Amino acid sequence: MASPETTETAIVDAVVSPGHDGQAVLVVRLRHENGVVDAVTLDAVTAEKVLEACNADSPDALRGQPWTRLLAVMDD
Amino acid sequence: MLDILIRNGRIVDGTGIPAYHGDLGIEGGRLRQVGGHLNVDARHMVDAGGHVVAPGFIDPHTHFDAQLLWDGQARPALEHGVTTVVHGNCSLSLAPLKAAHRPRLVRMFQQIEEMPDAAFDGAFEWTWEAFDAYVDALRGRLSLNVAPLAGHSPLRMWVMGEEAQGRAATPDETRAMQQLLRECLEAGAIGLSTSYVDFDENMRPVPSRYAHAEELDALCSVLGDFGRMLQVVPEFYSTDITIARIDQLAELSLAHGIPTTFSPLFDSVTMPANVSRVLDRVAEQFARGARVWPQVQTRPIDISFSFEVASLFFVTQPMWYMILRLPREQRLAAFRDAATRKSLIDAVEAGGSSPWGELRVRDSADASLIGRTLGDIAEERGGSPAAVMIDLSVEEDFGVHFLSASMGHDDPSRVGPTLANDLVHVGASDAGAHIQSFATYGDTGYLFDRFVRDGRYLSLEHAVRKITSETAQIWGIPDRGLLKPGAAADVVVFDPETIGRGAELPVTDMPENGMRYVRDASGIDAVIVNGEVAWSAADGYTEATSGNVVLP
Repeated sequence: MASPETTETAIVDAVVSPGHDGQAVLVVRLRHENGVVDAVTLDAVTAEKVLEACNADSPDALRGQPWTRLLAVMDD
Repeated sequence: MLDILIRNGRIVDGTGIPAYHGDLGIEGGRLRQVGGHLNVDARHMVDAGGHVVAPGFIDPHTHFDAQLLWDGQARPALEHGVTTVVHGNCSLSLAPLKAAHRPRLVRMFQQIEEMPDAAFDGAFEWTWEAFDAYVDALRGRLSLNVAPLAGHSPLRMWVMGEEAQGRAATPDETRAMQQLLRECLEAGAIGLSTSYVDFDENMRPVPSRYAHAEELDALCSVLGDFGRMLQVVPEFYSTDITIARIDQLAELSLAHGIPTTFSPLFDSVTMPANVSRVLDRVAEQFARGARVWPQVQTRPIDISFSFEVASLFFVTQPMWYMILRLPREQRLAAFRDAATRKSLIDAVEAGGSSPWGELRVRDSADASLIGRTLGDIAEERGGSPAAVMIDLSVEEDFGVHFLSASMGHDDPSRVGPTLANDLVHVGASDAGAHIQSFATYGDTGYLFDRFVRDGRYLSLEHAVRKITSETAQIWGIPDRGLLKPGAAADVVVFDPETIGRGAELPVTDMPENGMRYVRDASGIDAVIVNGEVAWSAADGYTEATSGNVVLP
């Protein structure tokens, strides 16, 4: 019997959104291995680090990037 | 003879029952009679003129901790009909606090709640360390009622010193914190606040975040002895983690018999399932008997920014974002450079359109610009909105702030039903915080304006109940939130056809002429606190200092 296909958790997209304190934040959606999509909100400092870690010059360029890059920055 | 007689009112008593016409009599700080026609003398007469007479509004999430020490009216909250505020939210309170820890805690307040130096430096005298002494410092100067929380972060600092921001507490330290919290509760603290998300000015987690679950459980056992509230800032940036916190709060609520509340919870097109998923879990936990109240704000969320820091507002414009991340002098030089300026404008207008015309000037040295759209200014000056943004920023050395209004939590068809939900606690105003970024006042007026009068998502009676008796019940605030004989005479008279939140205005009424944003009241006729008129549309603020700490 074939095993279910699994892929690494990856960034689906990233969108600028307002934070509760009036600052812009970046909402990054992740698709997990089981297909579930969830979002993580990044403040300006963290978002900048994620963009740099992913060598991305815009949120669109984050699409498809592995979540481990996001995790590495957030754990930093 | 009555102290105050309010005649010809449309009484909305806070229970949610339909409004009815009648008079209201006040004597000795208490409601003497509610409804009917009162043919008695009174020292002060108020003709409601058929307007609504309701219990004073209760704001459960404020940061007036410092402001109350020089402004017992908590301006402009009082004129919006707010007669009771809960402060000390988000793990931060000014007591209990040892003198040696003041600078450290003040820096946290400044970082997290965006409160200016002048709010803490010279605006009041630090006369306390213990919670009871802080409460004493408040008494006698209050024009509205207060329900102070004890903050988990200063509690840890008191017991653990510098190590509060670095490790878990030992069993002895936890016991010391329990005793300290008990003393706070005995002195009138309405509960304990804690946070799982906030950082200090050095981007270190605030002390409360170093607590292990056992420590919070031990503190909640003390709250349980008093039946008092636990207020929490959960990891609201992730729905899944917020749900995990809801489960944790539910266990604490059930184990210790305490109410819990968390905020913020808001709607956003980028996380469209956030509110519904959170409320589903809240409902499950309420069904188990737990009390986990999500606080939801009424007002939409704006994005504000300047060229002083690289806002994510520009992250979809790579050239802009790159320049904004340059060191300040290089940044300024780039925006001054004609060729770069043209390239930036061309990049924004690449599609042939001129976006950003609806953005507004939030703050400027030129007062005539404040509140105007970039499109309007561009028409006057010539050029495009993007060009105006650059030029104004350069002219004022990056001192101009811009506003992109109503960017989230702004769809009434989604927010309205959420606010009407029986398990949603209307609150999270943050009044007194973020004062140099946006106005945190008038959320109650906005509730009636947008969700009662316009959207009809709540009836007038339902909306009043939400921000009066329901809030009092959730927090265990005795004797307030209802118009009934014998209750504390906190009353607001307002015109249901015009009540609103007023325009956002920059003012310089903070200590040392510090600037902040406020909103003037709209549609409020009079505000009475413990039987004394504290504000009226006719006379403004009075000298009344009838406010008190709601718990003895």
